[in-house]
Amino acid sequence: MRHHNSRDAMLFSLPFLVVYALFLVAPIFYGIYLSFFDWNVLSGKTFIGFRNFVDAFHDEKFLSSLLHTCQFVLLSTPATIIVGFLMALAVVAPFRMGKTAETVFFLPYIFSITVVGTLWSWIFQKNFGILNQVLVALGIPGVGWLTDPSVAMHSIVIATVWWTAGFNMILFSAGMKQIPEEVYESARLDGAGRLTILTKITIPLLRDTTILVLILQIIASFKVFGQSYVMTGGGPYGSTRVLVQYIYETGFSYFKMGYASAMSVILFLIILVISVVQFAVARDEK
Amino acid sequence: MRRKHFGEIALALVVVIWLAPVLWLAVTSLKTEKDVIVDHPAIFTTLPTVANYIYAFSRTGIARWLLNSTIVSVVTTVLTVAIDAMIAFAIARIRFRGSKALFIFVLAGMMVPFEALIIQLYLQFNAMGLINSLAAVILPRLAMPIGVFILVQFFKGIPAALEEAAYIDGAGRWRVFWSVILPLGKAAIVTVTILSFINAWNDFLWPLVAVSDTAKYTITVGIANFQGTHGTEYSLIMAGALVASAPQIALFLGFRDQIVKGIAMTGIKG
Repeated sequence: MRHHNSRDAMLFSLPFLVVYALFLVAPIFYGIYLSFFDWNVLSGKTFIGFRNFVDAFHDEKFLSSLLHTCQFVLLSTPATIIVGFLMALAVVAPFRMGKTAETVFFLPYIFSITVVGTLWSWIFQKNFGILNQVLVALGIPGVGWLTDPSVAMHSIVIATVWWTAGFNMILFSAGMKQIPEEVYESARLDGAGRLTILTKITIPLLRDTTILVLILQIIASFKVFGQSYVMTGGGPYGSTRVLVQYIYETGFSYFKMGYASAMSVILFLIILVISVVQFAVARDEK
Repeated sequence: MRRKHFGEIALALVVVIWLAPVLWLAVTSLKTEKDVIVDHPAIFTTLPTVANYIYAFSRTGIARWLLNSTIVSVVTTVLTVAIDAMIAFAIARIRFRGSKALFIFVLAGMMVPFEALIIQLYLQFNAMGLINSLAAVILPRLAMPIGVFILVQFFKGIPAALEEAAYIDGAGRWRVFWSVILPLGKAAIVTVTILSFINAWNDFLWPLVAVSDTAKYTITVGIANFQGTHGTEYSLIMAGALVASAPQIALFLGFRDQIVKGIAMTGIKG
């Protein structure tokens, strides 16, 4: 009855593999191929070797986009992780409203980025936004949340923390629930205080979860696009233009497909390296 | 005891702060334009109005965009679950050479940032003559490696006895897949369905690239565009944003535990 295992496995895998090959595998190789060409939609394709890559590292806009992306990664990663961790501590603690808190903390994550972006654009609005209204009422001058180049990226990070910290909370609280109660009990019997339990038990035992959250967060942050696209359009003065947005503009506003592909390859490599590091770390654990 | 009370109060405060933006979204959407662009705005409007919602549905493309998003999300979800479940069945329940390699090949897809593929995908769909169509929005999202991962883990845990019995009764492969594995794998199917739907509904960058005709916008692209065309009409924009989120809010309230479990299980980030 099981003579046709290979054939059946192939048939069941085929629909997935066709889609996968056409829209994931093929674009990877097509992108690498395109990255070696100078190709405006108007002109023909010209092979130029590694020129696009060399050009990228002399292109001020590319470098500043890369810098802003790194800035976003460095600001948002610790913030979302710490907030997510504190949320997890709160929801696993025996508080009466723990379940409500978990729901509320996670809620923003289900919204799309354009909804989050438009909502926070309104909250951050300089003259009539609620945040500045509150500040002014307290006698503090309003802030150009999205209009001041030195502040805008931080505002985007605030909106991002609100949007995604609940996601990290879920991962952390799942990890916390796996720590056996006996571990805590014996620590308490030994007279350990709350802080000792937190630093000597909870945090070390959550190491794997923390590494997972960290890697996911870094990868997600490198791919940032919607926040700045909706909230600032990359401004003011390009201060929040990130890598994906520059790729998007290069391709669809300037029609430089070869150059945009080369930058996509660079983004791909950055994320690949982070993924490989994750893989290596995960393997070391075992 | 006092410490416990302090904790409760602090947590309640944070919960209120976290919920405040959503409340502000709802409250703004019920105000008139005149009540929004003012100094010292009232927290709660005394004269709530649904005019913004009526305007949004009658004078903007929002109804159309909702329809587009519904089509895209439903079709994407049904097809994703189907093809993911089929390959997961092959990997988890059929013994064949190369099954492990196939699984690794599929999982490797999780490392590929979709954002790095938009240029090539655009050119591919343009060459296929499918750009600016809902099909273009749907197709690249169908093969969802994380869905395969969830389903394979779950299918592997199903006891072999039932499957064996079905084979002995003369059932074919398809029959076993359809009447044994799928019903027993319902929990995982539900998780993948919800994740796929939310991903499809919230997708932004690819629909932005794939579609240029406003009548073909999905709701995420439409809402982003709203800001451009309605500038400072914040009450209208907020009404649109809330309408755009209605399906996820409903899904979240109905399937909160499955969503949370799905995320805890896989750690996917949309």
